[in-house]
Amino acid sequence: MSQLIISVGREFGSGGRVIAEELAKRFNIPVYDRHLITEIAEKTGLTPEEIERYNENPKPHIIARSVRGFSNSIEDNIAEMQFDIIDQKAKSGESFVVVGRCSETKLKKYPALVSLFVLGDMNEKIKRVMKVYSLSEEEAERLITKKDKKRKRYHNYHCAGHWGDSRLYDLSINSSRLGIDGTVDYLEQYIKARAAAMK
Amino acid sequence: MSAAQVFAVVIFAAMFIMIVLDKIERHYVTLGSGILTLGVVFGICMRNGEAIWNTLALKGFATKDFWYQVTESESKGINWATIIFIAGMMVMVEGMAKAGFFRWLCMKIAFIVKCKTIPVFITFMIMSAVLSMFIDSITVIMFLAAVTVELAQLLHFNPVPMILSEIFCANLGGSATMCGDPPNIIVGTSIGLSFFDFLTNTGLCAAVCLVISVIFLYFAFRKELTSTTGEKVDISKLPKPSEAITNKKDFIISSIIFGCAVILLITHSMTHLTVASIGLFIAAVTLLTSGKDAPGLLKKVDYKTLVFFIGLFIVVGGLEETGILELIAKFIKNISGGNAMLMVAIILWVSAIASAFVDNIPFAATMVPVIESLAETTGVSLHTLAWTLSIGTDIGGSATPIGASANVVGTAVAAKNGYPISWGRYCKKIAPATVIVLAISTGYIFLRYL
Repeated sequence: MSQLIISVGREFGSGGRVIAEELAKRFNIPVYDRHLITEIAEKTGLTPEEIERYNENPKPHIIARSVRGFSNSIEDNIAEMQFDIIDQKAKSGESFVVVGRCSETKLKKYPALVSLFVLGDMNEKIKRVMKVYSLSEEEAERLITKKDKKRKRYHNYHCAGHWGDSRLYDLSINSSRLGIDGTVDYLEQYIKARAAAMK
Repeated sequence: MSAAQVFAVVIFAAMFIMIVLDKIERHYVTLGSGILTLGVVFGICMRNGEAIWNTLALKGFATKDFWYQVTESESKGINWATIIFIAGMMVMVEGMAKAGFFRWLCMKIAFIVKCKTIPVFITFMIMSAVLSMFIDSITVIMFLAAVTVELAQLLHFNPVPMILSEIFCANLGGSATMCGDPPNIIVGTSIGLSFFDFLTNTGLCAAVCLVISVIFLYFAFRKELTSTTGEKVDISKLPKPSEAITNKKDFIISSIIFGCAVILLITHSMTHLTVASIGLFIAAVTLLTSGKDAPGLLKKVDYKTLVFFIGLFIVVGGLEETGILELIAKFIKNISGGNAMLMVAIILWVSAIASAFVDNIPFAATMVPVIESLAETTGVSLHTLAWTLSIGTDIGGSATPIGASANVVGTAVAAKNGYPISWGRYCKKIAPATVIVLAISTGYIFLRYL
């Protein structure tokens, strides 16, 4: 199989990560999400928990400064390390699925890229988050809003395009319409068609 | 307050907030603010074409004093001498970096001390301070931190304490001379001071502080500097200093140009060549000797910083022309009750605290007219206030990871190589070192000048 890179952006609670994992299984390729954190932990000697604190976080403007492309913000440096890792993997010809990390923009130069964005209806996302994290309805809604706000700020800080804007992705899909399995089936067909067109 | 004063303050405050927030690149911020100052403050509110002309300061180029200065003179508005000098140094430093000079120097010194951790730690601190006396601290730290990480990986020690100490000493070394740190160039060219004036005043203070700092940082970090594996390292297996040189001819030429720049700077009070002439001369020689590489060197010049300076000087010019800076000077005079010691302490510590959190360049540029006004109205020597301002802004910048450009670059180089430095990690040892040096500097100024 020639190279295939699947980038999955997602709203919190939309099932985007599960969809990415299922797609990786179906195409028999690795998925990079938390794995990137472990890789950086090995490289830096920090614990994965420490890196998680800074992962996919926008830099705090008041206590961070940039000079000639150098930034003292750990958030910025961890983001750059993740961008470098996925770029190196893409450059090496490896096929993989990557969740978030502005991958739809950072890997745009690779013809093997298929970029997806998974969104969902708020009521469906709340139900899912309540179940997965054992939260009340109110807590789930608050968590979704907080996480999405953070992802949006992180994305829009590192990329020119806006997070979730359909013009940035090859395909945006609402997972509430077909459910997780139905969405995966649909995306599998789409990716196969794209892979065939790439040949 | 008049409309012009209100707009000048609003533009200045908005500019400062935007620089701190770092959402828009700072050169766009200062340039936009500068254009607003020219249009709104001088054009619409003051309807004063002369104020615009004074602030742009273009006629200075045509005067002999701009290039060759026998008597001290002060400058107002855009400080073109600072901009030309910094641009010239950027060209020279690019030439040196391309030839491998900095990497060679770092490796050479590491080999002279046989790559032993503690001697490397001490010599790198001293080298950081000495190089920063002549070259911008960003370049010094960029190379020194990169070599430190490389040595740390080969010799198995934690590079973070060494990088933090190098940053601290770079800022300290920068305070020693007129061209060491941008605030000093601004202070020096604005009030007509020479390289030698700085060396014999702030330089002496920096030398005393360097000795104390090296001792303090050694005791603060000595436990962290031991090899993590305890293995003995065979230095013959390490990369040789000569391998750093990319082109021997370029290396020799760039070393000679650097030597000439140092001599010209040290002797400029005798030769009467201004820093603008020196900057232009060394840039021209570097470009002429670079041949076909000259366009590449010009491309690498950090034009954003130069634009940042231009915009900044216009905004500060707005505050100056509208009399806001005189009001600030009066305020300092009132709260100090005309007491010179209190005035010096206020300027030094307020400059230091402000510089620890905001860019020290706009702060210094704003404070220069303030100290000029203070000296006029209180009789305290302008030179004493100039040394106080320089030391305060230069040293204060060391206290936090965002206080000075060298701190940002040093911590970023460490992070990129897998050694992220948090605010807590940075401030734990470096903030106390900053306070110690500021206390020594306060005592130095009190004893020597008051």
